[in-house]
Order: sequence, then structure tokens, then C-alpha cells
Amino acid sequence: MGSKRLQNIQGYSFLLPAMLVILVFTLIPIAYAFFMMFFKVDLLSGARTFIGLNNFAKLLDDPKFWASCRNTFRYVLFVVPIQTIVAMVLAALLNSKVKFNRAFLTIMFIPTLTSSSAMTLIFMWLFNNNGVMVNLIDQVFGVRIAFLNNPDLALSVIMMMNIFSTVPHFMTVFLSGLQDIPESLYEAASLDGANAFRKFMNVTVPQLMPITFYVVTMGLVGCFQIFDQAFIISDGTGGPQNSTLTFSLYIYQLAFNSNDMGRATALAFILGAIIFIVTYIVNKWLKADEVNG
Amino acid sequence: MKKFAAILAAASILVGATACSNSEKAGKSSSNKDPITLAVWGSSPSESKALEATVASYEKESGKDVKIEVIQDNFQDALTSRFAAKNAPDVFYLESYAAPKFIKSGVLADLSKDIKNQDDFYQPLLDSFKDKGGKLYAAPKDYSTLALYVNKGLLEKAGYKVEDIPADWEGLVKFSKELQTKLSKDQAAMIFDNTLARNLSSLIASGLNPVTDKGKADFTSNQKAIDYMKSLVDGQKAGYLKNPKIDMGIDSAGAAFGTNKAVMMIEGNWVLSALKQEYPDVKYDVLPAPTVNGKKETMTFNVGYAVAKDTDNKKGAVDFVNYMTGKGQKQWSEMSGTLPTRQSVTKEMKIDQDPVLSAHANGAAYGTVWSSGVNLPTISQAFDNQLLAAFNGDKSVEKAMKDAEKEANDEIARQE
Repeated sequence: MGSKRLQNIQGYSFLLPAMLVILVFTLIPIAYAFFMMFFKVDLLSGARTFIGLNNFAKLLDDPKFWASCRNTFRYVLFVVPIQTIVAMVLAALLNSKVKFNRAFLTIMFIPTLTSSSAMTLIFMWLFNNNGVMVNLIDQVFGVRIAFLNNPDLALSVIMMMNIFSTVPHFMTVFLSGLQDIPESLYEAASLDGANAFRKFMNVTVPQLMPITFYVVTMGLVGCFQIFDQAFIISDGTGGPQNSTLTFSLYIYQLAFNSNDMGRATALAFILGAIIFIVTYIVNKWLKADEVNG
Repeated sequence: MKKFAAILAAASILVGATACSNSEKAGKSSSNKDPITLAVWGSSPSESKALEATVASYEKESGKDVKIEVIQDNFQDALTSRFAAKNAPDVFYLESYAAPKFIKSGVLADLSKDIKNQDDFYQPLLDSFKDKGGKLYAAPKDYSTLALYVNKGLLEKAGYKVEDIPADWEGLVKFSKELQTKLSKDQAAMIFDNTLARNLSSLIASGLNPVTDKGKADFTSNQKAIDYMKSLVDGQKAGYLKNPKIDMGIDSAGAAFGTNKAVMMIEGNWVLSALKQEYPDVKYDVLPAPTVNGKKETMTFNVGYAVAKDTDNKKGAVDFVNYMTGKGQKQWSEMSGTLPTRQSVTKEMKIDQDPVLSAHANGAAYGTVWSSGVNLPTISQAFDNQLLAAFNGDKSVEKAMKDAEKEANDEIARQE
């Protein structure tokens, strides 16, 4: 009994530093945010007045909230499936015995290593009205497309950029998963007369399910929280015409431009709830727990 | 093993405890010694050097210690969080644009009776740091105004002289249109900026104050102001007005001007250091910003020193601010190349006779200071956001302004 208690103490003492950090920097702020979202808070002076659920009512009445909602969901619905599928297919291709696959892997990994802000600046340079892409399209098709100040296209530039930079990361995750699939499954499939495509669909994809769940979840969380690219591309405004206004960017604007921490925490709570619910649904749908990985 | 675990647990607790007590001690000893903390944003090397030198002169004269803290990015946000954490610097830079928010929150010390010789300041600069009751919360340290820069080399190549440039906005637009036909496709007759920060004075000169007496947005009540905005939209569409970032892919107006991609630009004196250091071959003239609707106008961007209300060293802080905006202002202005906020220093430095700086300095008397109540950030954000729709051709200027007005006023209602 005594030795067990001592072992417990030992365990907790090892955990203590990490637990303290989590407590101070994660749990207490979350609890505080729960508290703040029922108040009108002046961040500068710290003055606050209780207004109940008024912050939520204000948000529902706010066209910018709905714009950020629309943008974020549009972003997630495009980026997550595309990045997952592309990463999986690329991983499968690299896992087959093509020549120089290591070299390809290295080159393709570079975008992930680049910081997202540097990446955004590069994309802004490519896509501005006098940029390489615009001039290229002009020469080939004879139309000038204003990517960055056209509200229908500005978000697409960020989407492309995010897919470009996250695919390599998820690709390596898939690659490691692929190497765990027993060769015997493929042999059995070959004996049954499956071609390469059938093998991919009926062996690789189901076997990768736990990895896919991880990739989709991380993709969802990352996409729902998209901030830096939207911030840089629009200079923090979320423009043109709110087309790059995402949840996180609007939280930032509410807290620091509108000096309204209450509404910002209310929106953060909504974002947290959305991520939780969507992840839960995806978990049920992909049946991540049941697959024998 | 057990022993080891026990020792480790004890050690970790001990380390934690001593770490806490250490930091407490450090905090106390520093507040006993009382250096004045000064928070500034990161700026050009010449300004940083000038600040260090002026602060050093103050330290030498007063025998006090000043600690400069440079906040590189998003100064307002960082400062806001410092206040929220009750850890505000004693003295800090304050833009007049952000001043109403800080004044309303009640976190600034009242300096009405502390700042010396207030009549000597350019009054519009001083007024932007006052609340409605006339109490003063910051002392202006320097300012910038907009003026018209002309690239002489390009202009003469196109067959014009500086004297040909009209002094009024309508004439200038027509001139740009004509000039553009003599330039290559990647060059701009004039660079423009589509934000409210650069155009507020023109709107006011047109007869529209976008911020009403009650602090609400008004973009639609005046046809002349709408026409002014239309002239920008038309100019961009036809290509003789260009936005450096969006239309030319160049980071800043100064860079476009310096690399001979633009003949004219309406910019603040902050471009001067880049023009001098990075593009010394470009020959240029500086003219006053164009008149709009027959009225002189320019935008003034004003920065001051404010003191935190909760400082435990108000006397020292005030003394420092008085030095920096008084006796030390000449040293600061000369080294940094910024414009002095005191009329006496302006005369002493003979800025009104300087061919480049006089166009800027003369604007201080009549310029519109970029500050107009707590709601200006909300109002300008809605304006910038919606005017872009007009530039894209998605909306007419009238529709865009109507939407901007609604967007801003709805948001203001939510904030109240």
C-alpha cells in the first residue's frame, strides 16, 4: 500500500511541471473565458458589467459573424477533403517503388517547413494584380484576374496556399501508416485478381482509416482556426468585403479593434463548440475506434 | 528508487518556490530603484538612434534612469494586453487615432496641468489628445502630414514641368489622365490610397464629416464627397491612379516612386528617409497636397507621449515627457528627421524655409488630424471594407457607401 502511494507521488511529481503549465496556460484561461462571455468587458481598464447571454444575441444579429461563419465553413469544406485525398494519393505513389522517391519527398516537404507568414507573402507576390500568376494567365488566356481584391477569389488563394503547405506534412503521416500495412494483404488481393486501383481502394484506404481520422481531425481543427494567412492577406481587415474574415480573425478584431473581450470570448466559445461537434461527427462517421489498424 | 522519487519531488517543489521568490525580489528591487519605463514601437534606424540619444541626454541632465522597451509588432494590441495585465509602462507612444479609446477607458493620467507651455504646440495636434471636457492626456512628440511628391525625371521625360501640375484635386485627376497616355503600362501617373485614413480630410473639405457629432457614421449625405470617391474609383479603373500593393505588386508607395514606377504620390514625410537612403538618384519636388472643393486640406498623423494612470512614478514620468516634448525636442527632431510639434522649434530649425519639409510643416496648421472619437476605428474599417467593393466593380460607390454606413452604425450600436 505504502509503496503504491509512493509510486503515485513519483508519477505525479514527474507530471507536475507539465500539469502546472497546462493549468496556468490552458485550463484557467478556458475557465476565465467561460466567465467572461457573459460580461461586457473593457479590456483596457478591466471594467466589466454582467449582460447575460447578450453577447451571443449580438453575434447572431451581426452580418460579420455570419460572413465569418460562411467563410470558415467554405474553407473547411474545400480544404480538408482535398488535402486529405491529395496527401493520401501522393503518399501511396511515393510508397510504390518509384525512382528518387526520397528526393521527391524532400522537395515536397519544403512548403511545410516554410513559415505560413512567409508563404503568404510569397503567394501575395504571385497573385497580386501585377504578379507572376496574373501575368501568366493574361498571356495565355488574355484575361486579367484580380485575385486579391476580388471577394470571390481572395479566399481561394488562401485555400490553395494552405493545401499546398499542409499536404506534405499529412503525406508523411500517411507514408508512415502505409509502411505498417502488411504485405500479405496486397498479395491476397493480387491472388483475387485485383488491379492496382482496386488494391488502393479496398486495401490501402480501409487500412489507413485510423491515420485518416487523425489527418481529418487535425485538418479540421487547423482549418477552423485559420488566422495568420487571412490576417496577412487582408492586413487584418478580413476584406475585400469580408471575404477573408474567418472566425479567428473576427475574434481578434472583436477583442482588439472593438475592445469588446466579452463578445470575443463568446465567439471563441462558439468556435470551440463547432470544432467539438464536427470532430465528434467525423469520429462516428469514420468509425476510427473500430478499425483494426 | 523511492528515495530518488522523494528527492525529486522535494527538489521540484523547492525549485518552484525559489523561482517564485526570486522573481518577486527582482520585481521589488526594480520598483525601488524606479527607472521610468518607456514603451515605443519599432521604427527606422535613424529614429531609434535619435530616441536613444535624446533619452541619454535626459538621463544625463536629470540623473534618472529610463528603460526603453521596443514593441516590434502590433503595438496597440501589445499595449492593450499590458494594461489588461496591470503591467503598463509608465510612459508610452500614443497615436491620436487610438487616443479616444484609451481616454474613454480611463487608463491615462490627466496631464492638463503638467505639460509646460501648451500654447506653443500646434493646436490641432494638442486638441487630438484632449477629451470632450478639454482635459489633456498626452503631449504631441512629432507628426506627419501628406504632401504631393513629384518625380521630376519622369515628369520631364513625359514633356511636362512641375509648374504644369494643377493645385486642385479635379485638375490633378485630369492631369494624371493625360500624363498616363505618355507612360508605359507598368507605370502610374499617380499613386493613390483607398483608405479613410488618407481621404478623411478630402471628404471633410467636400463638405462631409464621416463621423457625426453623435459619433455615428455618415458616408452618404453629401454628393460632392461621393463624387470625390468616384474620381478615385474611375481613376483606378482607367489605370491612371494605381494602388502600389494591389495594382503594381510593390510594397509601398515610396518604393514605387523610388523605382520610377510612379510620377506622383500623395504621401507623408515618412517616405523621406527611404527616398534619401535607398533611392538617392531620384529627383523630386514636394508640393502641398491638392485642394479639394477649393479648400486646403491634408491629413495629419500625430503621435504623443502618454502617461499611465496607475504609474507609481507620475512625477518622474511627467518630467520626462516635458523634457522630450520641450527641451529635448530639437535634438529628437533633428536626428530623427520628424517634424517638431512646437512652433518655436519649427522656427528655430528653419523648417518653414526648407524646400522639402515646408510643404509638410505648413499642413500642421490646417490639416485634419487622424482622430475622431472612439468609433473611428469601426467607421474606418467599414469604409475601407466597402469601398473595395466599389473598386472591384461589385457595387456602385453609392451602394457601397450606404452599406458601409449601415455596417458601421450597426456595429456601433452593438458596442454600446
